Amino acid sequence: MTTRSRLTIAAHVVFIVAFIGLWELASSHDLLDRTFFGRPSGIALFLWKGFVTDGKLWLELGYTLFGAAVSFLAGSIAAVSVGLLFMVVPRFHRAAEPYLTLLNAMPRIALAPLFLLWFGLGVGSKIAVGCSLTFFIVLSATVAGIRGVNSDHTILSRALGASQRQVFFKVTLPSAVPVIFSGLRLGLIFALLGVVGAELIAAEHGLGQTLAYLQSTFSMDGVMGLLFLLALLGLGVTALMNRLERSLLAWQ
Amino acid sequence: MQNLAVPAVALERDNAPDAHAIELRDLTVRFGTGTGSVLAVDRVSFSLAPGEFVSLVGPSGCGKTTILNLLTGLLTDRPEGDVRVLGKSPSAGNPDIAYMLARDSLLPWRTALGNAVYGMEIRGVPRSKCEEQAMMLLQRVGLGDFADKYPKALSHGMRQRCALARTFALQSPVFLMDEPFGALDAQTKLQLEDVLMDLWSANKRTVVFVTHDLAEAVALSDRVIVMSARPGRIVADVRIELPRPRNVRALQKDTTFHKLYARLWSLLEQGMSSHDH
Repeated sequence: MTTRSRLTIAAHVVFIVAFIGLWELASSHDLLDRTFFGRPSGIALFLWKGFVTDGKLWLELGYTLFGAAVSFLAGSIAAVSVGLLFMVVPRFHRAAEPYLTLLNAMPRIALAPLFLLWFGLGVGSKIAVGCSLTFFIVLSATVAGIRGVNSDHTILSRALGASQRQVFFKVTLPSAVPVIFSGLRLGLIFALLGVVGAELIAAEHGLGQTLAYLQSTFSMDGVMGLLFLLALLGLGVTALMNRLERSLLAWQ
Repeated sequence: MQNLAVPAVALERDNAPDAHAIELRDLTVRFGTGTGSVLAVDRVSFSLAPGEFVSLVGPSGCGKTTILNLLTGLLTDRPEGDVRVLGKSPSAGNPDIAYMLARDSLLPWRTALGNAVYGMEIRGVPRSKCEEQAMMLLQRVGLGDFADKYPKALSHGMRQRCALARTFALQSPVFLMDEPFGALDAQTKLQLEDVLMDLWSANKRTVVFVTHDLAEAVALSDRVIVMSARPGRIVADVRIELPRPRNVRALQKDTTFHKLYARLWSLLEQGMSSHDH
């Protein structure tokens, strides 16, 4: 590690410690209303209790992560398949495009009440919301990736005698992978967002549901703790995808 | 293995009297139909003997690339006249033909070796055979140490060397090259021309080489065909009587080379203004 990056890390640590310290100080001296802002020691206590002492948050986290994972997998598999189908049948693509644009323009979270009615209070409705977000993001990335194929590569391959199938597997698909991958990265974040959003509206379990409950009972330490947790989760997901991308797409 | 048998078959055919590797007779290509149609190539006839290296030069839009695309079978417009490659009508994916473009068109997700095997892989040559052949050619073009590098790590010149390896790895008797060195700087170009000459002398293929660069055409070719501005017609067909093997860099100082160059340049100038008459 260079001196420079070590200094940067030290600066971040100082900033964070100062920020938390000031917050704690302000709330303990009643300069900051604890009912609205919580206090760092309370937040830490909440998270400690939730994950260590009684461990109740693990279950909620599990529900949310399960919902997000299923939404992501189902949504992106469907999206990549539809994207590939569009490539094979361009007429279908042209016909479907206006409807897809319309659906995509709809605020998906507003559909959550409808999905709750259709799929119930359980994880099904959460997956529906997550899926509907992931699907469109990954679909547009897939279409863009396939469109972006370098025509030199296809011309050369055809001139060398490649069949349609060979062009697809050896040129079109690998060249679309980076673009599809960036869609997947965004799709995973949005799957999480969709699931938590739907849980906030109505659910039996999940971090979103817990958040809504804590909010309605004015336990700000809990709300802040969960927001912090969700932010960390999003960060973790992005880091995971970046890592995966670097190892899978070393040629970039 | 079937594909590897192609050159042998081609050679037998080449031994027949009057066999042309490539033959164009009264080729006329028109783009579009009706009043909006453009005459791109006008009654062009020429032929190449097996193993002959012929350059097509001429101003932009003279139909050089059109003729090349026609030979690869990629041209969709139906031309008039007769075109034969090793006695057959052109068709896309003909294993008798290897094709090389101005842009290296290396696949960025494949290493240099992966790209060098690409053509053979498409033609179904067994993997182990592919890699052996490709590795040998990468060494010949000076990329032996870069076999596992991705194109992003290679310079322009190195990428085009890799494309040369990919092309020569194909055992095709006919090579069609569309300004393969057009995007390179002058020094790199001379180096690559020597690499091409080296590979070609070791294993003579019939080459149609399209270029803007007259010096390049003279240095490399057995014959240079000069075409006029659109509609493309043949202005001259000049035999280049320079001894082989040639060293392109040494030729830059050769007086015969410069005389030929000057002669062709005046022919090219006539061609550029021919449509005014």
